[in-house]
Amino acid sequence: MQDLLAARSQMAVSLGFHIVFASIGMAMPFLMAVSHYRWIRTGRPVYLDLTKAWSRGVAIFFATGAVSGTALSFELGLLWPRFMEHAGPIIGMPFSWEGTAFFLEAIAIGLFLYGWNRLSPWVHWGVGLLVGITGVLSGIFVVCANAWMNSPAGFDWVDGRALNIDPWRAMFNPGWKSQTLHMTLAAFEATGFAVGGLHALLLLRRPGSAFHREAFKIALLIGSVAALIQPLSGDRLAKGTAQRQPAKLAAMEALFRTESGAPLMIGGIPDVRERRVHYGLELPNLLSFLAQGDFRAEVKGLEEFPEADWPPVAVVHGAFQVMVGAGSALAALGALFLFLSARRSPLLLHRRFLLAAALATPLGFLALEAGWTVTEVGRQPWIIYGIMRTRDAVTPMPGLVYPFLAFTSVYVFLAAVVAWLMHRHIRAADREYQSSRPEAIAAGPGSGRHGASHA
Amino acid sequence: MWVVILFLGASLLLYCLLAGADFGAGILEVFMGRGKRRAQRTIIDRALGPVWEANHMWLILMVVILFTGFPAVYSRVSTNLHLPLTAMLLGIIARGCSFTFRHYDAVKGRSQRSYSLFFIYSSVWTPFCLGVVTGALVPGGIDPAATGYLEGYVRPWLRPFPLALGGFTVCLFAFLAAVYLIGESPAGAVRSGFARRAVVASAVAVAVGGLVFWAAEADGIDLAARFLASPAAAACVVGATFSLPVLWLALAREWGWIARILAGGQVALILAAWFAVQFPILVKLKNAPDLTFFNSHAPEATLYQLNLALTFGAALILPALYFLFRVFKSESPAPDAH
Repeated sequence: MQDLLAARSQMAVSLGFHIVFASIGMAMPFLMAVSHYRWIRTGRPVYLDLTKAWSRGVAIFFATGAVSGTALSFELGLLWPRFMEHAGPIIGMPFSWEGTAFFLEAIAIGLFLYGWNRLSPWVHWGVGLLVGITGVLSGIFVVCANAWMNSPAGFDWVDGRALNIDPWRAMFNPGWKSQTLHMTLAAFEATGFAVGGLHALLLLRRPGSAFHREAFKIALLIGSVAALIQPLSGDRLAKGTAQRQPAKLAAMEALFRTESGAPLMIGGIPDVRERRVHYGLELPNLLSFLAQGDFRAEVKGLEEFPEADWPPVAVVHGAFQVMVGAGSALAALGALFLFLSARRSPLLLHRRFLLAAALATPLGFLALEAGWTVTEVGRQPWIIYGIMRTRDAVTPMPGLVYPFLAFTSVYVFLAAVVAWLMHRHIRAADREYQSSRPEAIAAGPGSGRHGASHA
Repeated sequence: MWVVILFLGASLLLYCLLAGADFGAGILEVFMGRGKRRAQRTIIDRALGPVWEANHMWLILMVVILFTGFPAVYSRVSTNLHLPLTAMLLGIIARGCSFTFRHYDAVKGRSQRSYSLFFIYSSVWTPFCLGVVTGALVPGGIDPAATGYLEGYVRPWLRPFPLALGGFTVCLFAFLAAVYLIGESPAGAVRSGFARRAVVASAVAVAVGGLVFWAAEADGIDLAARFLASPAAAACVVGATFSLPVLWLALAREWGWIARILAGGQVALILAAWFAVQFPILVKLKNAPDLTFFNSHAPEATLYQLNLALTFGAALILPALYFLFRVFKSESPAPDAH
């Protein structure tokens, strides 16, 4: 295996692994905060059970996210020392803010997980919320740094050196708002639907379980709201990409020729040699509208750029299709959920709806991983867009395939262990909270009112 | 820039003291007798659980300060010390995960033994690698122009001084943990057990510390002479040595906090001595000018922002940390509210 490819693969595996845990760490505290709030307010034990059961799962995810994040902060240098040497002083600022936020998050999660008997209820609740807020902030800071790689700003590049560095402008580069918004929403969407889907599956097995019902409603509420806003943020990001990284947008759409009134390409297999797409569905003029807000506008195709500067078109286009497809399915499901909840419809707990939610469990994370593939692979061959090529940034150390294999096997093993632990955790929680809380299962009129009024 | 250096030094010290004690707890588990193992493990679990993630953050802070403030150092170190750093990362991953899994696995069954195995060995492995990496900055074995694999990526750290420093770090962390855990355990056999281990660990650390000087000579570093040449470093070493008998007395009497302060002070003195000897060199290079605080730092605008972020961050983090430790490290046992 070629060294550059090994380095890129190791980075992809590490990021792809970490991002799942980081997203759960961003969103789960808010799900817990809702349930925790209801416990303090209503005193219904089901909410206490839920908060505790969720927090035990989160402890596992947070620790794994923390150590894989530590690994990433080193891997940036281990794999891309030339990149970090130049980029460090420019984008160090968001990283140092991220360090602060992450530090506070680690303190808050220690207080939250072990603080049940030591903190007053509202302080404890506030600490739990702080875990979420600092988690989202660290996510935003890290994505600011990534946005800078896509739309570099805040320095002058003179003879292979960065001069006149302005860390402030680098951090708040032209892409930071749309990219951080898109990522934050994705974290909530993916986590909400994954958690809601698992509880839907358990509800199918145990209809009438108040524990799973409340969990399902809270998770899907948060996931659905995020899923409905997400297309808007995606539209904004796409318009920015059309301006700042036209080659990436062209690869996303597999648009080889510059066209006015460009069509939106759905599906299909891009053929780079013939510069056309096989078996794709073309929706006329739609891409021009989506990218520029005008059906007749000109959209730049890949032909405008030297072929050496093209990202791998098939990968980027395919990943983009997966992301949009999964995202659309979730948005539709989310809209249905919000509609049924608003009408307090019993159909919300209908077998078919639960089945649909259960089937949607992996879709959010699928979309999230696909979206990152679009961002990262779509930026290639650049590590800093238009400034530094990925192949010029890689470490000179030969034999990179071995660290890649080491990290990959560790992460595959860890993923398997975490999945196994979650399986055991869910089974144990399921058993514990079915047997010991009879009052929570038999949802009387009083408790039903609470449930409905919040859903 | 001085503020940045101060934060770098403080992060290193706090990482060694706090995370060092956490790693050391895992090292001590190696030497646990069968009889008291369960009680000791419970104490370690309770002592580390709420704080290890926060303690671990000092390392991340160090990395961020390095790549923002001293990018040339970060880039050079992560290029030539790729292998020991990767080994350390794998250790960090294994330690954090196995500790958490051991605590949070819903079924406390046979898998506990595997978690403990991973936890124990990664607790020894990670500080060893940390010591090796730190040690490799000193002898000047890193050659930026090296082309061969061995010359460029193995020889810089596979030599006497880094390896000895790795061993010394392991002993030091075990010593810190034993001292720290005295204050975490109720009076009784377990507590005296930690006190005894602290004495043994400090004696071993002194012996291995001597070995480090010997390894330094073998590596062509006139460490002893350099220590003697710097009055500050010599004073630190003298201070650390002469506080040992007081420490042993404190350990024999099981004075938890006095022992902690003395042990922490000794580690701080060792680090200060090292800093005094090394300053201003960060990385000694072969066939190239050494990387120092003064020739490897980022532009002023970056250092200014880093300063701002660190100062503001410290203003947020330190009170929060104080609260965390006050909640979990106060002597009173947890009241049962629910």
